[in-house]
Amino acid sequence: MNKLIMLLALLLSLLGFSAASGAATQFKLELNLPAQSGEYHNPYVAAWIEDDKGQSVRTLVLWRDGAKWLKDIRRWWRKVGRKDQSIVDAMTSATRPAGHYQLNFKALDDQKQSLSAGNYVLRIEIVRENGGRSMTKQPFILNGDSHQYPLAKSYEIAQSLFIIKE
Amino acid sequence: MKINKFALGAVALLFIAQASAHNRWILPSHFNLSNDKGEWVMVDVTASNETFNVDKPMGADRMKITGPNGESVRPGSSYRGHRKSVVDIHLEQSGTYQLKMGGDPSYWTSYQLKGDDKKHWLRGVSKSQRQAQLPQGAINENTMESYANVLTYITLNTPTNSFKTTNKGLELVPVTHPSDIAQGEQAQFKFIFNGQPQAGVEVEMVREGVRYRNDPNALKLISDDNGIISFTLAHAGRYLLMAEHQSAVKNNPEADEVGGQIFLTFEAVLD
Repeated sequence: MNKLIMLLALLLSLLGFSAASGAATQFKLELNLPAQSGEYHNPYVAAWIEDDKGQSVRTLVLWRDGAKWLKDIRRWWRKVGRKDQSIVDAMTSATRPAGHYQLNFKALDDQKQSLSAGNYVLRIEIVRENGGRSMTKQPFILNGDSHQYPLAKSYEIAQSLFIIKE
Repeated sequence: MKINKFALGAVALLFIAQASAHNRWILPSHFNLSNDKGEWVMVDVTASNETFNVDKPMGADRMKITGPNGESVRPGSSYRGHRKSVVDIHLEQSGTYQLKMGGDPSYWTSYQLKGDDKKHWLRGVSKSQRQAQLPQGAINENTMESYANVLTYITLNTPTNSFKTTNKGLELVPVTHPSDIAQGEQAQFKFIFNGQPQAGVEVEMVREGVRYRNDPNALKLISDDNGIISFTLAHAGRYLLMAEHQSAVKNNPEADEVGGQIFLTFEAVLD
């Protein structure tokens, strides 16, 4: 009897999860790192989502070298990385050269819970040794609709796109 | 009585003007570091009126380094040049380190002689000691107990905040953590005097690179009733904060006045 109740509860919670959360919501980041002239080191890249209070809720991308260089991804390190070693450990990913990258994510927070409807900001910080830095800041809304946001270009980021697919 | 108070104030101003003939500062190579294996920093210590160009060395052996666990940290090698002192420090523990010079009082007794406007000074003579050392016929004697804190904070990985106050003279208490000051974000510091929140502390902040611009663009602030200053810096960079305050004291056997100066170096990071 107990087992049956537990099974039912499990089934219900699974159903409830997929119905209420919009777990199907996807983020797609088309990130374009421009080719540079002269000496080139792969950039350090962090992409993350902040809520409307400026608190980070999800780190999407962390392309990095050793721990010594994490501090150079200034805002991400100050607001996110230095406060939560588990995110750093979970995200370890090598740096990549200039090029076009298609990155897909589920719309979940760092704890793998779905993000609630509301206003957020996508941030992309790109830092290159012997190069420049760019800090992309793109407000977006989660309201059950699909959206597409072209991201502002700068020295370290070429034509890029952030897409919300419901 | 009123005149007397005014005279005391004037003495204090004169004293401060003399004492602050040179700004002093500690400038680390890094304010924020990331490394799970510890890190080295090098620190310049100098007395200089140019922010941040060095001028004169300062006894870096007197610098106290307090680690995140509250224990003092021994520096590596050090060097005293003609323009600056340099100290090498290995940070092993994650957290925030405080580097501080000063904190011990120095005493200055001033007096005048009848029929002579000139102010005379006795260095290192406190109120309880002065009677034996003042010449016959000395008038308008006044003793200042002076504290100067020259300090900075360096953070390896996660910031911590475990720094005790001495509750003597003027002290700065970070409200915003010194490693969390960023361009375009509001930050706050609190000033205490003999352990109590102090209103009216005059504070000045100067960004590095004054040699290369005509207007120093100093930010001038005065602490509010809770001893707090609030500020938002438009530019990232390294800053020198200077603060001073003095007031008459009663029931202090060593001084008529207590004065304090603070020189804090910090960076405002890029947003």
